[in-house]
Amino acid sequence: MRQLFSLLLLSLVALCFAPHASAADYHEQLVLRPLPLSALLASFNFRSNTTLSAFEAHNFRFFPRSLGQILQHAGTRELHLRFSLGRWDAESWGARPWEGAREGGTGVELWAWLEADTDEEADRKWRTLTNALSGLFCASLNFIDGTRTTRPVMSFQPEGNHPNSTMTNMHLLYGVLPHEVVCTENLTPFLKLLPCKGKAGIATLLDGHKLFDASWQSMAIDVRPVCPPGGECVLEMEQTIDMVLDIERSKRPRGNPIPRPPPAHELKCDTSKPYHSGDTCFPADYNANQDWSLSQIFGRTMKGTCPLTDPNVPPVCLQVPNSRGVYITGGATEKKNLDLVSRCYEIAPDTPEFEMVLPRPESNEESGQAAVVVQEVVKPETPLLYAERSFTGHGQEHGGVQTILRNPSPDTEVEFIYMETLPWFMRIYLHTIEARIEGQAGASKQDPLIQEVYYRPAVDRARGTQLEVRMRIPPASTVFLTYDFEKSILRYTEYPPDANRGFDVAAAVITILNPNPNPNATSPRFAAYNLRTTSLLCSLPTPDFSMPYNVIIFTSTAIALAFGGMFNIIVRRFVAANEGPEMTLTAVKERLRKRFGGFLQKYRGKADEKKSE
Amino acid sequence: MDGGKVTLGRTAGLYLGAAVLRLALFTLFPGLADLLTGRVEISTPVTSFKRLQEGLFLYDHNVSPYDGGVYHQAPLFLPLFSLLPSLPIFTYLLYIAVDILSAGALLKIADSGEAGSSALFTSPRREKRWSGFVIATVFLFNPFTIATCIGRSTSVFTTCAILHAIAKAVAGAPFGAMVALSFAAYLSMYPLLLLPPLLLLCYDRQPPESAIKPGVQSAATNILVVVGVLAALFQMSYFITGSWEFLPSTYGVQLTLSDLTPNIGLWWYFFIEMFDSFRSFFLAVFWLHLSCYVGGLTIRLRRQPLVVLTLLLGIFSIFKPYPSISDASLFLAMVPLYRHVFPLMRYTFVIAAVIMYTTFLGPAFYHLWIYAGSGNANFFYAITLVWGLGQSLLVCDLTFAVLRDEWEVERPEMVGKDIRQI
Repeated sequence: MRQLFSLLLLSLVALCFAPHASAADYHEQLVLRPLPLSALLASFNFRSNTTLSAFEAHNFRFFPRSLGQILQHAGTRELHLRFSLGRWDAESWGARPWEGAREGGTGVELWAWLEADTDEEADRKWRTLTNALSGLFCASLNFIDGTRTTRPVMSFQPEGNHPNSTMTNMHLLYGVLPHEVVCTENLTPFLKLLPCKGKAGIATLLDGHKLFDASWQSMAIDVRPVCPPGGECVLEMEQTIDMVLDIERSKRPRGNPIPRPPPAHELKCDTSKPYHSGDTCFPADYNANQDWSLSQIFGRTMKGTCPLTDPNVPPVCLQVPNSRGVYITGGATEKKNLDLVSRCYEIAPDTPEFEMVLPRPESNEESGQAAVVVQEVVKPETPLLYAERSFTGHGQEHGGVQTILRNPSPDTEVEFIYMETLPWFMRIYLHTIEARIEGQAGASKQDPLIQEVYYRPAVDRARGTQLEVRMRIPPASTVFLTYDFEKSILRYTEYPPDANRGFDVAAAVITILNPNPNPNATSPRFAAYNLRTTSLLCSLPTPDFSMPYNVIIFTSTAIALAFGGMFNIIVRRFVAANEGPEMTLTAVKERLRKRFGGFLQKYRGKADEKKSE
Repeated sequence: MDGGKVTLGRTAGLYLGAAVLRLALFTLFPGLADLLTGRVEISTPVTSFKRLQEGLFLYDHNVSPYDGGVYHQAPLFLPLFSLLPSLPIFTYLLYIAVDILSAGALLKIADSGEAGSSALFTSPRREKRWSGFVIATVFLFNPFTIATCIGRSTSVFTTCAILHAIAKAVAGAPFGAMVALSFAAYLSMYPLLLLPPLLLLCYDRQPPESAIKPGVQSAATNILVVVGVLAALFQMSYFITGSWEFLPSTYGVQLTLSDLTPNIGLWWYFFIEMFDSFRSFFLAVFWLHLSCYVGGLTIRLRRQPLVVLTLLLGIFSIFKPYPSISDASLFLAMVPLYRHVFPLMRYTFVIAAVIMYTTFLGPAFYHLWIYAGSGNANFFYAITLVWGLGQSLLVCDLTFAVLRDEWEVERPEMVGKDIRQI
């Protein structure tokens, strides 16, 4: 009876909402792109829309109520949250997915536009927001305090469409936690925000064991208002997970996870090598490990489709050359795209499981290994800029930061904003900042590489350094951006328990400006490409943590010796060595004898009497 | 007359020699200046030349240098150094000139004979003294002074101002002395503690031809001068920086020790290891300890105010929040004025040995801690402790010698006899 009732209720609810919910309100898509060197990029994208009026009326359907209420409470107009791990290897994997827009630096990164009348109010709302998100995502976002918050001036611009009335009092705040270790406890709340909660659709492939085992992964949440021309404004929430899986590592059986060299008779050798012989072998399939199935790399198959998703958007796409054969389970249909390098799969709603197998390509082994690699994998796109950042110098006193920026394009100049948020205990010397082109001695005067600098120096224990540099790099050249800093020593309570590990320094954010932003487009992209360097580990001088008491005692003793010596000399009178009252050992003995001598004599006398008796 | 001329020529030669030596070090070893600038023994957070350059850079680019944690020096340095032509040679010349000005002031102090015979006390041993030339030579060729000059620490300006304040006071020009002291106090704050003995020195050295003013009145005038000059300097700083935020950033840092960069003093490691709840208490205790010597010494050595100034400079170079070898060099420049009491000192060998020992071992241990990683912070801390103890032994021993010298005026028969203190 109860079951029947609930069924009835369900259908009633479905009936109520059916006319309102247009199918375009939610869709999800997984794009798989094999990368060179046995890597696979998996991009999960979940997008849900809700109209602004419904949002204001607390009418949540696809938009998660927990997040929505936080945003409303903290006056957040636009929110971007990133959880990232690992390093994107641009040299071999090429350009980043989504042009780097859905990526964060190592750790947790959060930036948001808050509506507030004053800076203080914005700070208060920011604290509310970080504390609430900290609880929601099980991350230490509440540690984003004044020293980790900055207000970028040039690097970020709102992505959504904001009416001009709110635009004037919107405050951008940016916080970053490079030390935060992203893990399963952050993934679970992330999946809970999805309409299908990770129980159906592509989200079923997300397994913490695989996601956090990836070479690089980035989870992103973007909330922004979007106003399509002529339509009602909607609040768009986009959840993205990008990860680069090492196929060989993923295919390792769970029961036997320790990698061992294969036995010699199973080894495939590259016979084209000149030194190939019976006892010398260059492993042939090391770089070309491109046969896999969904269940191998994700540890499970896809459990059907999410019933709420827009059926017009194919849930799974694969970017391999059209010549490659792919096996799929029944119920799904393959649709090859016209660009010859991608295909998508539409899955019938009642398919219980979806599995995809990429067999080892029917390679003509005699034609050589190089040709096979080109066939299997779509050649990655060259990014607009390569960047790597490192520390220079040695010792725990002074240091330098060096960023190597390379513009690979042979004919286009690239203009970008380089932003660093540094902790206060790295005291940077801005007068030492220098940008020079590799191969040239100094910075050229007539065409400076550094166009504009925004700098907000750090204040001890209150505020971090914020440095934004607008730069321009001529085509096909490499630029070294360097500056010096000093490592300060902290109070012993300010060190973490693993003080000698060092302190994480957040990734530098590089925003490549769109050379010709189209102001007429619905949302003019301000950035053409984003990238982040890796985070750095800065080791500070450490005191000896074991001896606060000893130091207090030793220093106090030194001070007492100095003060006591001085006090003695100042206060006491001079006399000749044989003048004044004696206080030597003999004098004390003499005085003692006088006091107790008689008593001793008596006692001795008594003893003598007894003896004589 | 001839003798005077010869002395003048000799002095000019000394200055020239000192200037040439410094210029040679600047130019022949171009890396030396930056190397020494980075040494913690020479550059402290409140005197570092590199930080001054950073402050200057921010000032030239219209960013307030005090809205940050790097620049903690007086605002008047900013226009001074930004008016200098950007070639480094002008900076070198400025620092050399400041050193020579200091030596000139020291020469005047020594030649006045104030150390041996003040208004209220004349030492029986005063004949046995070094001339101003020797004392200026000891100052100018002291390796500590040279290293400070090459490291371009801004404490040389404070040194110069203090020496000029004393020289003016000895010359019977209280107004000049007070102005110079105000400059010193404006640049580094702690010289303000020298005011009581300096007032006494000014009072004692009033020129006999002018009407002797009563003590209270002259002290009040002089204090008013100091207050007035300091107020004018602060007002100028306010106009330069446009706000009062330089006050917490320059003097507040010295009071609260928010920057714990290692130096040769005793404060930094103590406040690194201090428990947070006791931090402000011990800051107050340390400052109280630093200033408590002023009253005691001024009263006990009322008859020799110059000795009080010397001893206080020694105490400051041990116990001030950010000491450097520049402070030690100032103290060591004043000590030879008391050549006549050197025979009364008891531990000269120990003191000299300890100072040499720490001078060589300090940089070595710092290297072991920071660069080699084979030592820890305690290595350098131990050396700063020994350095402090050695210097305090020197201060105590000098006090002892001066007091015994005073006592032997009352008891001439005790010269050379064993004595003790009760």
